[in-house]
Order: sequence, then C-alpha cells, then structure tokens
Amino acid sequence: MSVNVLGIRHHGVGSARQVLKMLHKLKPDCILIEGPPEITEMLHYIGNQQLIPPVSIMVYDSDFPKTASFYPFNQFSPEWVAIKFAIQHHIPFRAIDLPANIYLHLKNNIEEEIQTEMQKSLDEDEVLVEESPDKLYLNDPMSELASCAGFSNTEDWWDYFFEQQNETSAEDHFEAVFTSISALREKNDKPDFFTAAREMYMRQEIRKAQNEMYENIAVICGAWHAPALMDLDQKAKGDDKMLKQLPKTKIKITCTWIPWTNERMAFHSGYGAGITSPGWYEHLWNTDKDVTIKWLVKVAGVFRSKDLDISSAHVIEATRLSEALAAMRNKQHPTLTELNEATLSVMCMGDLMLLNYINKYLTVADKIGKVPEDIPKVPLQEDFERTLKSLRLQLHPHEKLVDLDLRKDSDLQKSILFHRLSILEIRWANRTISRSKGTFKESWTYEWSPELMVALVDKAFLGNTLELAATAQVHQKLNASNHISVIAAYLDKVIPAELFLLIDPMLEKIHELSAISSDIVDLMKAIPPLAEVGRYGNVRKSDLQVIGLIVENLISKVNIGLVNGCYGLDEEHSTKLFELISILNDSIKLNSNKELIDEWFVALEQCLVKDQIHPIIVGCTTRLLLDANKFSEVEADTHFAHALSVGNEPMDVAFWLEGFLRGSGMILLYDDRLWNLVYNWVEGLNKSQFDDQLPFLRRSFSKFEFAERRQIGEKARKGIHLVENLKRDEDFEFDSEKGRIVLPILMKIMGVK
Amino acid sequence: MNVLNQHAEYQFAHELEELKKHDSGHRPPNWLMSPQSIVTYLMGGKLKNGFEVSPKYIGSRRLMEIAVATLTTERALLLYGLPGTAKSYVSEHLTAAVSGDSTLLIQGTAGTGEESIRYGWNYARLLAEGPTEGALVTTPVMRAMKEGKIVRVEELTRISADVQDTLITVLSEKSMPIPELNTEVQAIKGFNVIATANNRDKGVNELSAALKRRFNTVILPVPETAAEEADIVRRRVASLSKNLEIPAELPTLIEIQRVVKIFRELREGISDDGKVKIKTPSSTMSTAEAISVVNNGMALAAHFGNGKMSASDIAAGLIGAIVKDPVHDKIVWKEYLETVIKTREDWKDIYRACREIVI
Repeated sequence: MSVNVLGIRHHGVGSARQVLKMLHKLKPDCILIEGPPEITEMLHYIGNQQLIPPVSIMVYDSDFPKTASFYPFNQFSPEWVAIKFAIQHHIPFRAIDLPANIYLHLKNNIEEEIQTEMQKSLDEDEVLVEESPDKLYLNDPMSELASCAGFSNTEDWWDYFFEQQNETSAEDHFEAVFTSISALREKNDKPDFFTAAREMYMRQEIRKAQNEMYENIAVICGAWHAPALMDLDQKAKGDDKMLKQLPKTKIKITCTWIPWTNERMAFHSGYGAGITSPGWYEHLWNTDKDVTIKWLVKVAGVFRSKDLDISSAHVIEATRLSEALAAMRNKQHPTLTELNEATLSVMCMGDLMLLNYINKYLTVADKIGKVPEDIPKVPLQEDFERTLKSLRLQLHPHEKLVDLDLRKDSDLQKSILFHRLSILEIRWANRTISRSKGTFKESWTYEWSPELMVALVDKAFLGNTLELAATAQVHQKLNASNHISVIAAYLDKVIPAELFLLIDPMLEKIHELSAISSDIVDLMKAIPPLAEVGRYGNVRKSDLQVIGLIVENLISKVNIGLVNGCYGLDEEHSTKLFELISILNDSIKLNSNKELIDEWFVALEQCLVKDQIHPIIVGCTTRLLLDANKFSEVEADTHFAHALSVGNEPMDVAFWLEGFLRGSGMILLYDDRLWNLVYNWVEGLNKSQFDDQLPFLRRSFSKFEFAERRQIGEKARKGIHLVENLKRDEDFEFDSEKGRIVLPILMKIMGVK
Repeated sequence: MNVLNQHAEYQFAHELEELKKHDSGHRPPNWLMSPQSIVTYLMGGKLKNGFEVSPKYIGSRRLMEIAVATLTTERALLLYGLPGTAKSYVSEHLTAAVSGDSTLLIQGTAGTGEESIRYGWNYARLLAEGPTEGALVTTPVMRAMKEGKIVRVEELTRISADVQDTLITVLSEKSMPIPELNTEVQAIKGFNVIATANNRDKGVNELSAALKRRFNTVILPVPETAAEEADIVRRRVASLSKNLEIPAELPTLIEIQRVVKIFRELREGISDDGKVKIKTPSSTMSTAEAISVVNNGMALAAHFGNGKMSASDIAAGLIGAIVKDPVHDKIVWKEYLETVIKTREDWKDIYRACREIVI
C-alpha cells in the first residue's frame, strides 16, 4: 500500500510534465487532488471536447453567490493533466481539500468579527473574491531559498530549477521539491488555522482512500503541502480531534464551470497561485523541441502582422543572442527573460513600446475558454447564453465596438439585451457616443471578463429570464424610491429595454408622486429624461402618448413653483438650480404645446423681478429670455444696466455674468452695448474689489472656447466700443433718391454695365 | 604619464590583470577574458581572492549582459541614448576589457569620409608606385579586422548615410575588398564593432534598414534613482579630480545629492515630492553635465575659494549648464529658482548664491 505525494506548482508546465511522467510510471489506482470535494463531480467534465481551457470551476454559496471561489485550469495545469489521465485510464479520482462550505463558514465568521470590530463596510458592487489561505506565493517563504541560489525573485528560481529541467527523472524531481520544501517548513512550520485545517482534512481523506483498499494512491497538491501529507498514521489521532472542532454548517454550495481568460490566470484565488505569462507556458507545454526558435518565430509573426519588417535573419540573430545570454548566466536554455531581452535588442531597436505587443499577444496571449452547454447552470445564465446564441454574439476578452441600427430587427434585439443587462448592473456592454446622428443609431463597446458571470449568477434569484430579472430589479428600485426623478431616469432605461409591463405602473407612480410632491428640483430633474423618452417612442414602435401628457403636467407644476423654488437659496443650491434651468429650457423648447412654453417664459420673467433670488439664476433667466426674443431692446438695456450698475455688490455681478454667459462668450463679442456695460463695470472696480472678483470672473470665462477668449482679449485691448459713431451714421437721414443719381457715373467708372 | 585622460586599459590595468588571473569561464577566441569577467569588470564586484573591482557602469546589470553577449555573436553593438548617458564610456571600457586596446576609434562627424572607414591612399606613393600594398593607408577598422580586435565608431548617426553604408559589407561579410589590388582583408576572430549614437540631436542621419539589421541595440537610460545618479557623480568626480590634480576637498555627498536633485527635477519636469510642476529646459540635463558642474565647482573652490566647495561655487556652473537658450531657459530657471529652490529651508545658501548671478 503506497501513497505518493506529488508536490506541484499550480499551472506549472514543468510540474505538469513531471506529473504525467510519474503517473505513467506509478500506474496508480486512485488519484487525489487538492481542491474542495464539491468540485469532484465537475472534474468529470474534463476531457469533454467542448470544455476548452482556460476555464474555471466557480464554487459559490447558493444563497449568496457573490462570495465565489475560482479554481482555474489551463491545458498545462498539473491538476488538469492528472484528471485527464485518470479519465483516460478509468482511474477513480476525487478532490480532497477542506469542503468549501466549511471553509466559507469559517471565513464568514472571521469576517463578521472583523466587521463588528472595525465597522468596516464592504463595497457591495464589487465581487468579493476571497483571499486564499495558501500562503505559498503570498508570504513567499521560498524567497529564502531563491536568494540563496542568487535569484532575485522566487518565480524565476522555481522556473529555473523545477519547471525547465525536462531531463530530470520524475522521481528525482519530486524528491527534490519535497526535500527543499521540507527544509523550509521545518523553519516556518507554524501554519495558520486554515492551512492546518486543510492539511488535516487532506490527510483524513487520504486515510479514507486507504481504508477503501486502494493500493497505489497518487496525491497531487501544491508543493507547500506535500511534507504535511506524509506520516499519516502518526498524525491520525491529532487529526481526529481537530476534525471534531470543525464547525457544522448549513451553507449550500454550488459548482459550475465558467469560461476563464488567460489574463485572469494571474488572478490569486482558490489555489492562490497565479502565473504572469500563460502564453509562454502554453508554448512550453505544446512544444517539445526547439522551444527558443519556435517562440522567436512566433514573435516575428506578431511583428509582421503589425507591419514591422522582421526578416529571418532577425530571428537567427535573436536566437543566437538569447543563447549567448543564457550561457553567460549559466542557464541551460534561454528563459522568457533572455528571449525578451534578445527580442528587444535585435528586433525592436531597444524600444520597449514594441515589446509590449509581444507581451499582449504572445506572453499573455489573452483568450477565452469555452464550456459545454449541458453543464448545470442557473436558469438566468442559460437564458443569457441562449440569447447570445440567437443574436450571434460572442464573448471576447478584448474590447469590441458595435454600431447598431435599431431599424433592423436583429440590432434592435441586441440593443434590448444590452439595455436589460445594464439595468441588472451587469456591465458587459457600455454605451458610447455614436459617430452618426439620429435616434436609430446606437454604439456599444463590450468586453467580457469572468466576474460578469459571477454578477449574472448573483442576479439569478430575480428571475429565470433576463426580461423577468430586469423587471424584478426595476420593481425593487421603484418600491425603494419616492423621487420622481429616479423613476423618470429608470423609465428612460426601461423603454429601450422593452420592459413594457413596467411602463404603466411607473407612469402611475409618477402621477401619484407628482400630485403630492412639492420638491421642485425633483420635478425639474424628472422632465428631461421623460421628454427624451417621448422622442424614443417612434423608433421603438411603442405607444407613449401618455408620457406627453405627464410631461405637460409636470411642466405646468414647475412653471407655477419655479419662482418660489428659487427664492432665498444659497450659492451652492443656486448653482445647481441654474444648471437645471438651462437643461430644462432645452427640453421645454422641444414641447409642442405653445401655451406651456409661454407659461415657462412668464415664470422666468417673474424670477427677474422678485428679490432674494440669487444673481446666477437671474443672469441665466435674463439670457434665456433674451435668446427667446422676449425682450424689446429697451427692456434688455434696462436689465443689463440694472445688473451691471456700480451700486451692485461686485460679487453679485460676477455671479450674474456667469449665469448670463452660460459658458459662451459669443454674446460679448457681438453685442456691443453689453460689452460696454461689462467693460465699464470692470473699469469701475477698485484694486481690492478687482482682486476679489478675479477668481469668479476667471471661473466663468474659463469655460469659453480658446478662440473666444482670444477674441475677447483683442476686443478688450481696443477698449470701449465706440457705438456713437456708428449710431450717428444710422441716424443720419438717408435720402435714397439723391443717392441713386450718382450710381450711373460710379458704374461707368468701375466698368460695371 | 602626463596625459589628461588615460585609456581605460592603462588606468585599470591592475583590475584587468586580476580578472584575467581569476577567470575560469570560457574565453571566446582573441578575447582577453570570459564574458562573465567582462560583466564583472563593468559592474564591479569582489573576486575570489578578495580583490575589489570598481564599478564602471552604474545601472542595470542586464543591459551590460546584453551588450557583452551581443559581442559574442556576430552582430555588432549599437549603444543608443541621450547625450551624457555613458555611451562612449561604456564602449571604451568594453573594448578595453575585450581586446585590451581601446584606441581603435573612428570619430563620426558630418565630414567623415569613406576613406576613414575603409582605406585611403598615400598619393605620393600611389603616383610613384601605382596601387601597391605600400601605398595603402589603413584605417582603425582595417587594423581591427587584421588583429581580431574591436573597433569603436563614435556618433555613428552623424556620419552621412552613404558613408555609413560602407560598414554593411564589413559587418555582414566580415571582409573588406580592395579591388584596386585585387585582394581583400578578412577579419579574424575577435573582430567586432561597437557604435554609439544619440537620439536627441536633430539633423542626424537615420541608419538604413540594412545597416540597422546588423546591429543589436542597447538603449542606455538615464539613471533610474537619485541615489544611483548621486553615486555616479560622486565616483566620476573623485576619479576626474585625481586626474586633474585639483587641490580641493572632495565635495560632500549632500552637496552632490543637491546638484543631482536639481538636475533630475528639471529633467523630469516635476519636483521631487511630486507636488510642483516644473518647465523643462532645452538642454538634456544629463548625468555627464551634473558631473561637470561639480567638477567646475571644485575647481572654483580650489583656485578662488577656500578649497571647500560651497553653494556659490556650484551656482555659476549650474546656471551655465541649465540656461543654454537665453530666452526660454532663462524663464525656466527663474521659475524653478523661485518656486522650488526658494521654498526649501536648507537650500537658502544656494538660493542666495544663484540670485547673485545675474543672467
């Protein structure tokens, strides 16, 4: 009866090779691997043609999917290789680590303690990715050995000694790993509770396998644990005692396969071991001979695809240089470090920017795995995948841009999908600014990352299809909110997502709230999105006339309440309101009801006469009225002069100007009367007043276009615009009859017939 | 010897001798020592018998490894970088360590002609004897080929493009045909070329693609950390002042750190603590210039001061190094003086000294 413990590095190519060699030699009748027992069932999928790495097993609490752990695999992961071997040779296998439910339970308890102690609130939106208890690569006790051997980092050291020495026999390899880790553990052997518990559980499981009369057991686990899994009989007693200490838990664990990306292989989770260059490892795994040359040929290929001329001579020279470098450093073969340095020096003219291509396309070689369709999934996930399939959308690890034409049905469906996902707060696709105008165009960028699957599973309790889940989500938000603006903003999302069932209850709620609401700001915020929605209706083929009525209703409420709403506000609130008024003005102008628009301007005029309204609002309303041609020339003059007269507090004038100019200085350039008033006002300030004003004026002028500022500066140099001269010309009574007499002679002189 | 600047192979003859004695690595043909020992010579280190080798290049060891490894292959080495990043210095020491002779040198200028790279003729003899071996005037390249040594080409990009291209045959065929004599010179093992070029100056002649392909490029960066740079300045100042026999005390590390800090801040356009943005002057603000500022200060202190370098001794050199363009750089310097130097409590002396110098 023998137990062989094979200490590996997770995702180590060398480890995977040695494990395979060793398994062929040992011919075990049972294979045990590190990982919670819950994943054993999932592991049976390995070898399925449709399960293409990189993939990961996601282990989560069914009731609280956000706390998920991941066990990623690549084709060169030793565990993957071992399980594949087991399946091919019909050898029973299982995962023997501490069960995930106990682990989560322990972790939750500890977290609660921390939370109560520190009152620390966790950010709800972020997926909680747990930190692994495996301290092998985190605290890095191996750095001691590495520095003894003269390596600056552990990864290089491990790579050099254990990954790239193909010639060593498997027995020697595992012997060497075992010995070095034992030596290290002797020094640091005070494992924390988690590690101790995990190792205890693994030992228990090995004993269990022994009791089941397996004769030849192979255990594949992280190198750090290897020494702890020996001397089973001596540790049996203590282990029994500890097993009883483990808590009982009711947490229900679910596992599933999810696609993973190479980039995420570097992610510390589950095993707590990441690798930074999966592309390079993949190359090592798939290449038996001429690793260096084949890699550099790939490098040349990448450069050529980027239109950089790389000849075969470059490849030859880079090979030579990398080998010379390796020889200088006493290495048998060039490692990635030497290859990168050779590439940099020979092919890139020393330019690091170019080497980044290699990093992106070869060293990391980002790609996304695939999982078979028959894997048990939550219904929402299934619906999501079904929708993707029917729309022929694919999950890409890189960002992609699509332009949708909503007049086409398939594009419309895509848009609906994106909108529904964004309501569910699954941030796969993001709306970007469309290059072409028109309401039937939408542009989106989408980029897949494995966390999105977690978010999807997390929302699964809301409903079994995306439509139902999104509806439920909005319902929740509706019930939680009493602000018209919030509901209006949601309405704006719900309509493009075609969740029509929601529209009626939402409109009702708006109606209800607007009847009792006295919050003018809330009303004002609600109008622009609602007005937007009204415009959508036509494209979206849905009847939204009701909205028109609601909008009108809201506008009249605003018209009535505006003056009082502006009354006696402090600077901060006035500034906000000023912006709202500007936005609202644009939406109201879109409305077809003339009477309402007139009412709006009346309301604005009232703001001018009333005292105790902040000058920034007064300035803004003056401008809006002026633009709408509501003032006669004389009236406008009076308003300007009033606002800019010397008697006013300089501060108020500055605010008035900011409100009036609304971020554009054009009017100063073309309206000379206004210009002169402003000019005189500035000139009339004494030095200390001017110094006080400067920051405010600067603030309002800084929003102007550069060209405008320059023109204003030029105009200021000329000083007051001499309108009088011009005026006199205009006033001069022009006798066109007399003027006409000279025309024939002029035409003759100029040669015009 | 009474020369101003001794060649590396004489100046560090002792170190080279010790390295050779304890060299156990494989020695490429016609090299003085193994590549490992050459890297040790450049980077410094302790030999087995406790002999201390002084560092020549302070910076990344990897770069030196790439440079040395390149020379073992058949590609030539191109050291590329801003002015004052020790390109020529490294190339001199490399040649000294590899072939024990750093004198085979071509100084590249716009006027460098083909005859100074390939070969020329002694016209008197050419007329008298016709084309014979005796009438041929050899060049450093030709000598290096015959003797299996390394030849240096300084400022390669200043040489006009068609003259540069004469190097192509030399580098790829390792031979130099002499059609007039119907013969050729073939390089023997150990021959190679180290070229330097800077990527800052305008009006340089880009290398042709064919020539580029025959060089491995190593970019020498500006020193990464202030400590590294201060170390470089300190070492170079110490060795130069010995050469020049300046009768002044060596400046304190604090004084050097201050100069280096000023140089780094102006080069990077941001103050040391990352709080103040600074305009950058038109000059490159290289380490080499920092060295010469300190040297200059020492000379001033020795001959016109009390032999101890003070802030006022540095100030003149500092302004000279920074203000190269009388309009733009002057504004840069004044702003820097008022916004950064003035605010530092313990920099009052240098602030006052700089203010006194009217520019």
